[in-house]
Amino acid sequence: MTRFLVGRTSGMLGVLFVVCLFTFVVFFVLSPDPAVQVCGKNCTPERIDQIRLNLGLDRPFLEQFTTFLTGLFVGRTYGVGEGAVQCAAPCLGYSFQTSQPVTEMLMQRLPVSATLAIGAAVLWLLAGLIAGVLSAVHEGRFLDRFLAGLTLGGMSIPNYVLALVLQFVLVVVLGWLPFPQALPIGEDPVQWFLNFLMPWVVLAVGAAATYTRLTRANVIDTLQQNYVRTARAKGLRQDLVWRRHALRPALTPIATMFGMDFANLLGGALITETVFGLNGIGKLAADSITKNDQPVIMGVTLLAAFFVIVGNMVIDLLYSVIDPRVRISA
Amino acid sequence: MPETARSTAPNSEEGNLLEVRDLTVSFPTAEGRTEVVKSLDLDVPRGGAVGIVGESGSGKSMTSLAIMDLLPKGGQRSGSLRFDGTELSELGNAAMRRMRGDRIAMIFQDPLSSLNPYYTVGLQIEEAYRSHRRGVSRKEARKVAIEAMDRVRISDAARRVDHYPHQFSGGMRQRVMIAMALSMEPELLIADEPTTALDVTVQAQILDLMSELREETGVGLIMITHDLAVVSEVTEHIVVMREGCVMEKGTAEQIFSDPQHEYTQLLLDAVPRIDDEIGALRTLDAEGAQP
Repeated sequence: MTRFLVGRTSGMLGVLFVVCLFTFVVFFVLSPDPAVQVCGKNCTPERIDQIRLNLGLDRPFLEQFTTFLTGLFVGRTYGVGEGAVQCAAPCLGYSFQTSQPVTEMLMQRLPVSATLAIGAAVLWLLAGLIAGVLSAVHEGRFLDRFLAGLTLGGMSIPNYVLALVLQFVLVVVLGWLPFPQALPIGEDPVQWFLNFLMPWVVLAVGAAATYTRLTRANVIDTLQQNYVRTARAKGLRQDLVWRRHALRPALTPIATMFGMDFANLLGGALITETVFGLNGIGKLAADSITKNDQPVIMGVTLLAAFFVIVGNMVIDLLYSVIDPRVRISA
Repeated sequence: MPETARSTAPNSEEGNLLEVRDLTVSFPTAEGRTEVVKSLDLDVPRGGAVGIVGESGSGKSMTSLAIMDLLPKGGQRSGSLRFDGTELSELGNAAMRRMRGDRIAMIFQDPLSSLNPYYTVGLQIEEAYRSHRRGVSRKEARKVAIEAMDRVRISDAARRVDHYPHQFSGGMRQRVMIAMALSMEPELLIADEPTTALDVTVQAQILDLMSELREETGVGLIMITHDLAVVSEVTEHIVVMREGCVMEKGTAEQIFSDPQHEYTQLLLDAVPRIDDEIGALRTLDAEGAQP
């Protein structure tokens, strides 16, 4: 187990390093001179030189990269002398637009994205698993076909269309829901819930449809397994055959997919956040891309990569618990 | 019915543990229902062993699944299945469930896929026992599981009871299946190609074990196989099936020494002998199936 953990952790660090290097190359080296952007419209060559010096852009690439990495783990200092600024770890630099520390910006937005991700995940997991199992039980009959049609719709509709339609119908025409705002849960839980309900649904619909199909296929496949026949031949009660011998093997692969999807969503739901104007990581990404705010783009990218990698590792660890074949041979 | 009649085996009708009469199994196809077992009669004497032999597709496995009421989706059975005085075809689902495992047990061809990879073999033996013996504690059931594994000669059963199926070899897995089947002390054991997935030396061990256990427990046996060598070793009575019909039945001795049906003769000839010259394999075309 320790070996397994050490192996996975070092693998994870390796991947993160590569992601860092890649994003660094793309955003700092290949893009237009950051100093010019920081400087703005009324700029003198002296000012640009000063900014270069402060940001360390005059240094060779390798040194810039190592300084960046050091900044991530122990913090770094921008500039020299009196104007020097200390940026605490994990330092991702400062926004070119607002001069806010990128780390701080990300941390401010994270709760919104996390709320969105958790709520949507609960919804799509519940809906997908229940509908999938129901479909499998009713295979070929009316309910199965009905759900197949529904999932086809769910998978086909782009979520910005769904978002706009829902918003128009539920908020503008019927007035049942408020226009979504990112409220904290503490003040008014009911209002908070109603605020997030529409974004959750919009985010969950596509995934719920996919999970429904996956669950259905897995359950039908598992029911044909020889060990399910054995369970029946032993005279086990039907519910035990289902719960123990059909559902657990059928749902295990879904855990993998769920880990990936959920981690992905923590890194921001770009479209949904933008459509509803929710200030999450996804909206931050969209804004920073339109303004070419490189440190922020880079921060968002790294954070998303971090979530995906950690999510994968958690699933791997979890897998060694839920599938005995993995545990023993690891 | 292309069956070579011969007054055989089951001496007294009362002595039979299982009496199958006119069993027909059918499945839906594009051209209507297709019968895969056609009005089959079968008797298993109490404590006796009957082998059902035939090539793949002859309906032998469907016969066993029909007895267990475990036919795949779409499968329908008709006819009479009398087990120890109870008409199985008239039992409701719950009653049939109580019958399965407890009084009629079954083991299958591929022991790896027949065991659930997610649970220890101990749990899989225990759950069967506990579902038939109400109020049995986990501890007692575990004891039964260890005893059952001991009985099928799995060494160090007390430790291995907590192992997962993939940690056993093929032969050991089949022993686990047998332990599971016999833990409830059933009156009838249906073995569907129990040695087909195993290599030859392990096959022999499993067959020996089954013969020994039969003597110890007095369990009745239906052995389904395509391998005449297997039935000759374990069973006293043999039923030869082809395309859903019984071609011939008799005692093992009769079948081997004096096969009445041409198909049986062909099956016997198909068994390779070490001192034989190998010629072309003779086959019987569909029309030739008529006696």
